[in-house]
Amino acid sequence: MTRYVVLVAYRPGDWERADEAERQTYFDAHHAFERYVDEHGTRLSSGALCDADTATTLSPGTGGERVVTDGPYAELAEQVGGYYDVELPDLDTAIAAGRLLPAAYTVEIRPVLRIEGYESA
Amino acid sequence: MTPDAALEQVVRVEWGRLVALLLGRFRRLDLVEDALADAVETAARRWPRDGTPDDPAAWLHTAARRRVLDRLRAEAMALRKAPLLVVEAERGPGGGAMADPGGIVEDDVLRLVLMCCHPALAPEVASALALRLVVGVTTADIARLFLVPEATMAARLTRGKKKIVAAGIPYAVPAAADLPDRMRTVAQTAYLAFTAGYAPGSGTDLLRADLAGEAVRLVRTTLALRPEEPVLRALLALVLLQHSRRDARVGPDGRLVLLPDQDRDRWHHDEVVEALGLLADVPVGTDPLTESYRLQAVVGALHATAPSASETRWDRVCEAYDALAVVNPSPSVRLARAVAVAERDGTTAGLAALEGLDEALPTSHRVPAVRGELLARLGDRPGAVAALAVAIDRCGNAVERAHLTARRDGLLDPPSAR
Repeated sequence: MTRYVVLVAYRPGDWERADEAERQTYFDAHHAFERYVDEHGTRLSSGALCDADTATTLSPGTGGERVVTDGPYAELAEQVGGYYDVELPDLDTAIAAGRLLPAAYTVEIRPVLRIEGYESA
Repeated sequence: MTPDAALEQVVRVEWGRLVALLLGRFRRLDLVEDALADAVETAARRWPRDGTPDDPAAWLHTAARRRVLDRLRAEAMALRKAPLLVVEAERGPGGGAMADPGGIVEDDVLRLVLMCCHPALAPEVASALALRLVVGVTTADIARLFLVPEATMAARLTRGKKKIVAAGIPYAVPAAADLPDRMRTVAQTAYLAFTAGYAPGSGTDLLRADLAGEAVRLVRTTLALRPEEPVLRALLALVLLQHSRRDARVGPDGRLVLLPDQDRDRWHHDEVVEALGLLADVPVGTDPLTESYRLQAVVGALHATAPSASETRWDRVCEAYDALAVVNPSPSVRLARAVAVAERDGTTAGLAALEGLDEALPTSHRVPAVRGELLARLGDRPGAVAALAVAIDRCGNAVERAHLTARRDGLLDPPSAR
């Protein structure tokens, strides 16, 4: 099993503009994804994120201090809007699962790094 | 056969199978290739002294397998685990790889090809990996093929292997429904390697045709695994037809020889015959990629079977390009079509067919080169000279530039009588 974080990105406002029927297709797609993952592996956690304009970013300042700013760390046309943390047998299974998510999403599949010697506090 | 020759041959023929066997057993891409390379190095020292073993492939397999086991033991020791566990690791099921969904004959080499040519790998990474792991081309030669320094290519291969391991790209044959799509990716990957061999370099190394031959070998190896796959049949026909002209493309003085001027006796006619046989069995209109390869192969076949340049069936070449422009409406197809139209319908029609290509290919030297040639035929010498000057300015390859310059200079200082 490989652990993946599946990041979904979409254009801000798409969800707000969607009517009830469209929202139902989103729900159906997420349910299909979740069922597929449950059949082939494990869902560890997931979350839908508030829009990027609610984000707060801490960036390294020139003198080593932390600079706190309003907004996401990168301004892009699409913003990360949610994630799934899953365990699946391989990338082909992860791609097959990702295909089930709403077609308007850009889906990024990232393997999770296991760091030797690190144990969570 | 000398031990050196025996080693060269076994590496050439068996490399992919050995990688596939070791990978099937250990699922450790990071160890397998190095172990096999070590085994080949040891063989190069030992065989000349001890004699060639009865079964060279089995010798390499055993030596490489021992190397992998040594490394696994060392790792286990480093992790303070009992070395005995390694035996379990070897026997256990492959880490992470999905079992075949059934219906397909198990084939380790096919798994290896599909893993190297996975769509999650960048095409240039996949091409390099397939050449290295499936047909055993050295990193130095792959670097020369793709015109990058060897260190860059080594880093590219390492990055590819790292991605396969980290991302969990499976060492498996996908479900039958997904296989045709995956085989098209394999075909595109192999064709990228082939075209790299014919892409003009920026220096005097006009063709790296010997290395394009390694890509032909990759296509052949893959077709042997899936002999009925239309995309692979069409692709092997195409690359064989293009590759069959390699010896005639460069003159004895190192100058470029264009198709009409090539000595047709120097074409590899055995390869042409093989390609025509393959092409006859490719169904029409399978899918856009197969059709694109098939139509390009049809053009290649029309050139290959014309007794002389002047007897080329330009009507049929034009038909093939017309069909190709529908499947693949790219500027380079339109440019090739314009050349064929000029041959079929005359120079003026050819010039008209160039319409719009300057905008589509603003940095290419080929559009002004073709225009210059056509204007010269029309007798518009100043126009031809100006177009060729643009082409010379844009051309990055020394051999091609020499050809264009000679052509332009011939127009500047024409003989008094034609």
